[in-house]
Amino acid sequence: MAITEARQTEGRRQAPVRATRTLAELAHGPEAFRLLVEAVVEYAIFLVGPDGRILTWNLGAERIKGYKAHEIIGRHISVFYTAEDRRNGRPERNLREAARRGSVEDQGWRVRKDGSRFWADVQLSPLHDDQGNLFGYAKVTRDMTEVREAEERERELVVERQARALAEEALNSRDRFLAIASHELKTPVASLQVAVESLLLSREHGTLDDVRTERGIERMDRAVKRLSMVLGELLDVSSLERGTTSFTFTDVDVSRIAAEVVERFAGVEPTDRIDVDLQPTMIRADAIRVEQVITNLVDNALKYSAPPDRVLVRVAPLPNGAVIEVTDVGIGLGLDSTSGLFEPFARAANAADVPGMGLGLFITREIVERHGGRISGVAGPDRGATFTVMLPTHPPRTGDGGS
Amino acid sequence: MGARRVLVVDDDPTLRETLGEVLTDDGYDVRVAWNGQDALDKLDGWDADVVILDVMMPVMDAFGFQSALGERSQPAPPVILLSAAPGLSSAASELGAVSIISKPFHLQDLIAEVHRVAGPMNGAAPAGV
Repeated sequence: MAITEARQTEGRRQAPVRATRTLAELAHGPEAFRLLVEAVVEYAIFLVGPDGRILTWNLGAERIKGYKAHEIIGRHISVFYTAEDRRNGRPERNLREAARRGSVEDQGWRVRKDGSRFWADVQLSPLHDDQGNLFGYAKVTRDMTEVREAEERERELVVERQARALAEEALNSRDRFLAIASHELKTPVASLQVAVESLLLSREHGTLDDVRTERGIERMDRAVKRLSMVLGELLDVSSLERGTTSFTFTDVDVSRIAAEVVERFAGVEPTDRIDVDLQPTMIRADAIRVEQVITNLVDNALKYSAPPDRVLVRVAPLPNGAVIEVTDVGIGLGLDSTSGLFEPFARAANAADVPGMGLGLFITREIVERHGGRISGVAGPDRGATFTVMLPTHPPRTGDGGS
Repeated sequence: MGARRVLVVDDDPTLRETLGEVLTDDGYDVRVAWNGQDALDKLDGWDADVVILDVMMPVMDAFGFQSALGERSQPAPPVILLSAAPGLSSAASELGAVSIISKPFHLQDLIAEVHRVAGPMNGAAPAGV
């Protein structure tokens, strides 16, 4: 019988008496648990027979599911399930599972009397008689629709925030790229413009002789080469960041590559200030890319130091690969700047604008990592820096373009 | 009256050599330096009427140069800043520069600025004649 009816009956019969009875007295009486269950409006709490038919009802059940007690008692719990769940036998399975495991918790869509759906959290517990025979179930259902919707909104918000952060990051990265690209290009463009305009000025003054013409052409040539080098680096960075650069791995002697690089620099540097310690070191690598790495490191060391400071290039075999070390005694990296040194466009804070450094070191790190190697930069005790590259004997198989 | 003195400081060799040559043609007494440290050496016992100064250079940048120069007894010469970096007005005031010229620039604009700051010279090939 429904609890609401019991209350009404009692109310009519013993209204004054009831007012004098304390809750403590009621707590020992048979109606105590009925009152308790009835008072709960947040949960649908009711008893179900072993056959799955509903035996009792409470206010919470009426509120959540929309049925009055007399409309639902005696009906099977499957009326609360969606048509699909009924087809799949979910109501019966839940009853069986609860009987077998002692209790079952189920979350899913349920249907109200008016056909609308709500997200339910259901606890189904079997009840046994003194002999241990199943004689029904206690079912507690909570409407979690709002909680679920709030969670879903929260999830959507998180996803949205992440997407926005990623987009902003990409935008910032692109802005940085454009800023550095324009900055890197301005220096050679300025040189080119000054070289051209000085020739025009000389012509205007009638002082344009062969010597000036020759010198002007050489300067323009230098500036244009510098421009195309910067352009190449920018394209390299872009391609390496997208992972579209292909590598060709062959057997190479790193010390020979280093010797060639140093020889080329010796011709450019006014005073030869590069020392070498090169031991034959065979590994499998992309020769052109390794040359680029050594060139970048030596170029960097020369830029950050001045004659008569010396730069040391060392190549030696390791048990599992090769080590390339380039040391200078220049201005160094600055203690705080080692961490971000290999990020695209990061630069040592104390030499914010040595042309090409930001791009060069980033390219170098990308190449080293594609070989499965590591690069580190350590500031010298007083000034200067040592860059160490370690390359494995064999590049990782996952690397693209291996041959 | 002796020729006005100009010190050109820039790590880009093409730029500083060309500027040095053009200003020499204009009648100035020119020295060139490839960074702040080199510039300090060039100013030793040689007072410049104007310094054309690149901001970012290896070994010693414009900031290092200006602070080292401030410790010397000789009066600091006026500075024309050259730079490829955007947003330099704060750097310019910090460096006490009289003007900023952004790279790339027109040679004539720089020459005009040197004339304005150091005074024009009547050299071998005066500009605009």
